[in-house]
Amino acid sequence: MRGGDVTPVDLPGPGLWTTSVGSLPKPDYISSGRSRRARGEIDKAELVELERRATREWIEFQDSIGTDVLVDGEQYRGDMVAFFAEALPGLELGGLVRSYGNRYYRKPIATGAVGRDDAVTVEWWQYAQSLTNKPVKGMLTGPYTICDWSFNEHYASRRDFVLDLAKVIRDEALELERAGCRFIQIDEPAASTRMDELDLVIEGMEVVTEPLGAHTITHICYGDFHRAYPKMLDIPVDQIDLEFANSDFSLLDDFAANPFTKYIGLGISDAHSHDVEPVEGLAHGIRRSLEYLLPERTFVDPDCGLKTRSVDEAKGKLSNIAKAVEIVRGEL
Amino acid sequence: MALQSTVVGSYPKPPEEGGSFALRKTLQAWQRGEVGEAELAGARRDLAREIIAEQEAAGIDLVTDGHVWWDDILTPFAGNMAGFEIGGLLRWFDNNVYYRRPVCVDEIEWRGPSSIEAWRFAQSVAGGPVKAVIPGPVTFARLSVDEHYGDHGRFVEAIASVLAQEAFELEAAGARFIQIDEPALLGAPEDLELAKRAIGQVSGQLEAATTILCTYFGDAKRLGAELFELPVDSFGLDFVAGPDNRELIASLPAGLGLQAGVVDARNTRLETTDEVAATIDDLASGVGADNLTVSPSAGLEFLPRDKAKAKLERLAQAAARVQG
Repeated sequence: MRGGDVTPVDLPGPGLWTTSVGSLPKPDYISSGRSRRARGEIDKAELVELERRATREWIEFQDSIGTDVLVDGEQYRGDMVAFFAEALPGLELGGLVRSYGNRYYRKPIATGAVGRDDAVTVEWWQYAQSLTNKPVKGMLTGPYTICDWSFNEHYASRRDFVLDLAKVIRDEALELERAGCRFIQIDEPAASTRMDELDLVIEGMEVVTEPLGAHTITHICYGDFHRAYPKMLDIPVDQIDLEFANSDFSLLDDFAANPFTKYIGLGISDAHSHDVEPVEGLAHGIRRSLEYLLPERTFVDPDCGLKTRSVDEAKGKLSNIAKAVEIVRGEL
Repeated sequence: MALQSTVVGSYPKPPEEGGSFALRKTLQAWQRGEVGEAELAGARRDLAREIIAEQEAAGIDLVTDGHVWWDDILTPFAGNMAGFEIGGLLRWFDNNVYYRRPVCVDEIEWRGPSSIEAWRFAQSVAGGPVKAVIPGPVTFARLSVDEHYGDHGRFVEAIASVLAQEAFELEAAGARFIQIDEPALLGAPEDLELAKRAIGQVSGQLEAATTILCTYFGDAKRLGAELFELPVDSFGLDFVAGPDNRELIASLPAGLGLQAGVVDARNTRLETTDEVAATIDDLASGVGADNLTVSPSAGLEFLPRDKAKAKLERLAQAAARVQG
């Protein structure tokens, strides 16, 4: 698949479908379950049972508000890079480093050639898909972001590192597809970090999506989109998911100059704010965007994964997005 | 003076694997209101003492407090000036590390020192001099939002006047080495003239302290030899992320110092002592060992603790070897 082409989606209705970016908050029983697991009070299977329960509850919730393309909510993941680093040979979790304030994470280290023994995400995807008749997205972290958020003690160049990771992520995506997954998201939040490496983001993504027949999506955030656009459209995926609420929809000005040519994931609710935005404001955001975008090419969601919100905040945001979409759909 | 070794500023706060992370726990308890300011200050002092001893044990000549009191280099200053509010999280250059962006909403004014107390404590527990670090005015302005001045030059100069006061107070407290961090200048050659005036405001306040204008995360190619016209005693350049800085130092005027970042502060791969010694030897033959101070390429907080420590040990060993 090349940059400009897109694989159409097979979904009912006139467009303006609802979805989520990926992560959803973990209920308290997951955090307490993890602490108990760390203290050896419960075994792995008991923790997994709690994660399955939380996954089931999130699927039921998304179905209850009529979400079109669901996510499993990543109840079993800590960090989006560490989750893959723990599973892939060649990567190890390193010591603690700070990300901001008093927040720390274990940054992975490439200590050898990166490979893949078993499927990393397929079992969880199958479980989530078994709970609903609507499609559930397969969720992968992109090769550029894994490289950018890891130390490198093995590869001679970042390109070598990214391209090895790309083959691994491609194989995981193919296995998701064989299991029946029709929507595969490959997140690249680091893609907008360095403009001089956007070509490497594209090259890595080409390796991942080239053999796929599924509808492919990438999510990009926390960067300077104005500099990355329209070059970003060369990333070979069908859909790019972007944050709009966080920047007061300023990207729409760029779309006026250079039309957006792919499917879009339209983030209309700030994932890092506690406020549950009122329905009418969200509907207004969608209407403004439709001056530049086609409804049959638009998915509506929050700006980013909601894992840092409370369960109630996340439910409030997703419900209001669903109601806003319902209103605007009625006006099409 | 002989070849010296130093750090750029920050140091990892977490302990080595298996150790207890007292500062993080105390901060969490402080946020929940379970402990007071005094306990938090105690936890910071304990960690600063430990980090200074660790740098000294590694063989580093000129240490810092490791930025134990800070989350980034802007907030402690912006938070203490009139005119600034602290905004949302933004990526710290090209790192997966985030800082809070200062937002200028009113006239900027000095309201008292921001870094003196931490510096004084660090100096009281160190065996040798402790380097003070302040943000440079251009970097400060470029990483902030100006909603008040509406003119980049006036904004930079307003910030510089407060930083000048800070530098003055640091010297009065006894600081002999004051480093001014200007990483954003690397990407802003159009600000060089402005930087000369603004840095001059700061260094002009100082009688005898040695000033270091420090850059990192890239090369100074776009600034060229004109960089060395900034009114300071020494220049910090990153030779890991900016290998092209090698060419630039040929134009370093005699009598000025070079603080050369020669081990990678952003990757865990440990350089061998031989490797580092070869780099230092090469730089020393260019600028003269007496004008050279060697350091990691940036603050060490991007690394886990054990790696930061190992890198400093190798850096100091390599410097000692070159010194003979």
